[in-house]
Amino acid sequence: MSDVKEKVLLVGDNPFHGISHLSQERSRTRGDDSTLAEQAANLVMISHENGADGFMFSVSDLTLSILRKIKGSGRNVSLDLYPIVPYMYEYVRLANLLGGIPGLARKFARELVTSRNLKAIVYGLDAAARADVTSLTKAYLTYEISRIKSSAGKQANLCSMLLHQSITDMTLALDMDWFFEAYIDFMSNQGMTPGFNTGNFVYLVDKFEAWGLGLDRIIIAAPFNKAGFQMNPSRMECEKILSGIKNPMVIAISIFAAGYLNPSEAIDYIATLPNVKGVAVGVSRENHARDTFKLLKEKLGD
Amino acid sequence: MGLVHSCILNVLPNVKLAAVCEKSGMTRRFLRKLFKNARMIDDAEKLSSLDLDAVYVTTPIPSHFAIAKLLYSEGIVQNIFVEKTLASSYEQAKEICMFARRFGGTNMVGYVRRFYVTFNKAKALLEADAIGEVRAFKTYGYSADFAESGETRVGGSRGGVLMDLGCHAIDLALWFFGDLDVETAKINSVSDGGSEDFVHFEVKAKDLEGEFDVSWCKPNYRMPEVGFAISGSKGVLEVNDDFVQLKLRDAKPLRWYRHDLNDNVDFWLGEPEYFREDQHFVNLSLNNGEAEPNFECAAKTDEIIAKVKSKAEENE
Repeated sequence: MSDVKEKVLLVGDNPFHGISHLSQERSRTRGDDSTLAEQAANLVMISHENGADGFMFSVSDLTLSILRKIKGSGRNVSLDLYPIVPYMYEYVRLANLLGGIPGLARKFARELVTSRNLKAIVYGLDAAARADVTSLTKAYLTYEISRIKSSAGKQANLCSMLLHQSITDMTLALDMDWFFEAYIDFMSNQGMTPGFNTGNFVYLVDKFEAWGLGLDRIIIAAPFNKAGFQMNPSRMECEKILSGIKNPMVIAISIFAAGYLNPSEAIDYIATLPNVKGVAVGVSRENHARDTFKLLKEKLGD
Repeated sequence: MGLVHSCILNVLPNVKLAAVCEKSGMTRRFLRKLFKNARMIDDAEKLSSLDLDAVYVTTPIPSHFAIAKLLYSEGIVQNIFVEKTLASSYEQAKEICMFARRFGGTNMVGYVRRFYVTFNKAKALLEADAIGEVRAFKTYGYSADFAESGETRVGGSRGGVLMDLGCHAIDLALWFFGDLDVETAKINSVSDGGSEDFVHFEVKAKDLEGEFDVSWCKPNYRMPEVGFAISGSKGVLEVNDDFVQLKLRDAKPLRWYRHDLNDNVDFWLGEPEYFREDQHFVNLSLNNGEAEPNFECAAKTDEIIAKVKSKAEENE
């Protein structure tokens, strides 16, 4: 059993975006109801009532709308927020529609200016003038933090901001230790725990250790499930590295292997893992939200 | 795609990313910060001084021919990977194949679905005669890329839906069934700009009939998806990006998801198959082997695309 009993339980947003990693067919037949902000907000609040501590989500118009619905619901919902940025799907889609990266850059510049967020604009100008990746990242993050805070209101607690899996893994592959350092410093200065969503947990831990970057300052969100689904290079290797790291804040995602596993066996497996400090799971129906978080609380909570 | 391939290549053992060629000055300035150990150049001709072992061509389709020709004729490199499609016409594809035959080396086209565990399982089942004699198939390639906006003219830069998405279904069909003849074809546009948005065509081979349906305006296809339903004398085989299902007469259907098919890789970026694809090309380049699908093989997809367009014009 895990050495730490109580874990952070988070609602994930994949079902709200119509994402299923088991099959696209499944996400299509799951229907459109969960894509509506009102219903999604309701699911998050039901999950919260049944034991969820917070919400892990990609920052998009839909999820910001969900946050606004929760804020305006009149219910006393104090959520811990774990946003993931950028919402890659939307940016790739926009790049296709706007004629590639230059079109996308123009759109972002316009949004930055109309946001009237001075800090973000200054970072943006610096990025353009010096072709500076760090300034560009800071401009983007400043812009997103302000969008989240204004949508979520004061009752929500912005705990962490996680880099999307594609960005984390690309920067890992390119050995960009300086980028990770800059991100960690920037997020820490904002009073948040820097987070990284990765599909290469073992590779990330190895790199951080080689670069001398402490794992105790960050949150890692990575797939852990009994099926070994998306656990690269293998389930065994991921478990071995997980058990050996010191002071980690690892949040397990894909714990149901996209619906391939039944919830009880999936959660039992997570309970056996040392060093997993939280889980994020998607819910698409009210009874699903109730049952899942009750079960998670029962098996992983106090 | 260039960025994804570059990142994966950078983590593969025995590979050193030596140079990046990018025309845009602004993009080069940013890339220089990302690729600190690679040379940043603005013209493919400048690759000649770098003593390279292999080159990935990930530029827009219309430029594939000129770049591949340059790489061979200037003796820059023999091992060449080109993103799909091989060229923007069958004539150009044939000429690239001619260069490849003359200069040798390993060559490959990025038909990534050949590295999906699901399509590999389907291929193995077909080779094992799991559904008996194959008689007919229906295949689709759908995405919602332009389902909402209808701004499909932008997609013209991607070569139209047949080159962008339909080519994957064609490549897989050629891989599964061998050579095919185009019987009838219809191409439709959702806008006045004449963009190629919906394509439907039928093919024939010896004792086999097939139907293709391709669109990038299909609602609810959040991600592009390719799928087949293949009918044989003993049953039906269904396969798409996510699962394979075997329905034999009087038997309970069997379904395999990615989870059941050993989908893990050493480094996951985008989808696991990109890693397998790059690993395949690199390993064969190192051993002077023949990659799949090579230029000759991919040229057949360009040939089918040309025939579909020609048949569609005849039918107008």
